[in-house]
Amino acid sequence: MRDPYSVLGVSQNASDEEVKKAYRELARKYHPDNYQNNPLADLAEEKMKEINEAYDAITKQRAGGGRQQTSSYGGGYAGSYQQQSYSSAGSNPTYARVRSLINGGDLAGAERLLMEVPQKNGEWYFLSGSIAYRKGWLDEAMQNYALAVQMEPNNMEYRQALAMMQQGGAGYRPYGYTGAAAGPDCCTTMLCLNCLCGGCGGGHW
Amino acid sequence: MFGYVRPFRPEMKCRDFDLYRATYCGLCRCLRQKYGLIAPMFLNFDFTFLALLLWEPEENFRPCRGRCHANPLVKHDMCPTSPALEEAAAESVVLAWWKLRDSIQDDGFWGGLPARGLSILLRRAYKKASRDCPDFDRQVRESLRELNRLEQENCPSLDRTADSFARLLQAAAPSDGERGRVLAQLLYHLGRWIYLADARDDILEDRETGRYNPVTARFGPEGDDESLKRTMDHSLELAGAAFQLGSFGCRTPVLENILYLGLPLVQRAVFDGSWSKIKKQKIWRHDQ
Repeated sequence: MRDPYSVLGVSQNASDEEVKKAYRELARKYHPDNYQNNPLADLAEEKMKEINEAYDAITKQRAGGGRQQTSSYGGGYAGSYQQQSYSSAGSNPTYARVRSLINGGDLAGAERLLMEVPQKNGEWYFLSGSIAYRKGWLDEAMQNYALAVQMEPNNMEYRQALAMMQQGGAGYRPYGYTGAAAGPDCCTTMLCLNCLCGGCGGGHW
Repeated sequence: MFGYVRPFRPEMKCRDFDLYRATYCGLCRCLRQKYGLIAPMFLNFDFTFLALLLWEPEENFRPCRGRCHANPLVKHDMCPTSPALEEAAAESVVLAWWKLRDSIQDDGFWGGLPARGLSILLRRAYKKASRDCPDFDRQVRESLRELNRLEQENCPSLDRTADSFARLLQAAAPSDGERGRVLAQLLYHLGRWIYLADARDDILEDRETGRYNPVTARFGPEGDDESLKRTMDHSLELAGAAFQLGSFGCRTPVLENILYLGLPLVQRAVFDGSWSKIKKQKIWRHDQ
């Protein structure tokens, strides 16, 4: 295992408070909410596990064996990654297979299977939207989720998916960039003209 | 090629700005050394971003001094040639070439004349660059052909047309291994975003010339800025989420500045119409 301090990006002499802060920032970054239905979710999950282990190792080390310290809220995070994959709740066995194909990353296979289903219901549109989302076809994902909700307005799974699209994604920003994009309307034109790099080429660079 | 991918200078630390500038100048020099005097004309911010992204994360920033191509009397700090710079250089020549071929086809005999002239000048550079990145060359050709076909069909799907361009940009990085997966996802959504920004920017022009525009084909003649913004934001979000899973060493702050500040600002400028001014000023008058 890598040195737990370098995993968290702090020095060995960092105070407990600093370690905790570094851990929290990383946990916020790799939080499962930021990688819902994301094709890279497995990588984020790995990173999350890594920092959880590192944080636990450090707290244990520092507790000096004697006093048992309650560890991070990491356990909870690691757990919530599991729920991300689709539960095969529906009754239709084809849909269950489509879900498992999506979870396995075989989008083309899932799409093919879905196309063979003659009757399109809410779940069909939901799954079709999920495939589109994984491919990066966000506009079609949104349209399909909307149709799914329209056909089965009481289904929480579909409604959550649609709500996520309407927000325009999950929204992690690294420290220092929070709220910058939505910030005050600081005369964009001027900012861009003068400040987006390249405004002054040649000698002014 | 489009110049949408730029950093936001006021929020940059001096050393990060130096790094960005040295990468830009290094790319220019690399283009000139490998592909001749014409190639630096096609230098742009998008490929500077790509070079920064492709750089070995462990490698620190160690600039050297070199003469400016645009003004040989001046010396600048530049990044010495590296695999990332060479790759970005080759790919920018290949993309420039195929864009020229594309506009020759689109613009008819007289309209296509300037592009024809440029493409003759660029021919040798392209031959060499296409040998240096054959896979990218193939993907660009394929993607642009596909885009042409979709345009002719008047394709109503925003995602389908954007997908062709997104896959073009995705091919700019090797997609194997963990790092490859991260870069592939990042570049896909960056490519999607660039395509949509460009389409939004072209709405008026395309309406006048009667050309296909993916945004109006999807949302109707007036477009739908709300929906388009949302889907573009979402692509930036996914590009950022992918970025956070990679490691980019000392280039992280510059790349974050571009992803989280530069791109949203450019997007805003595209939507409020100020982009057309910025674009012209920068790419064509100052930066060559």
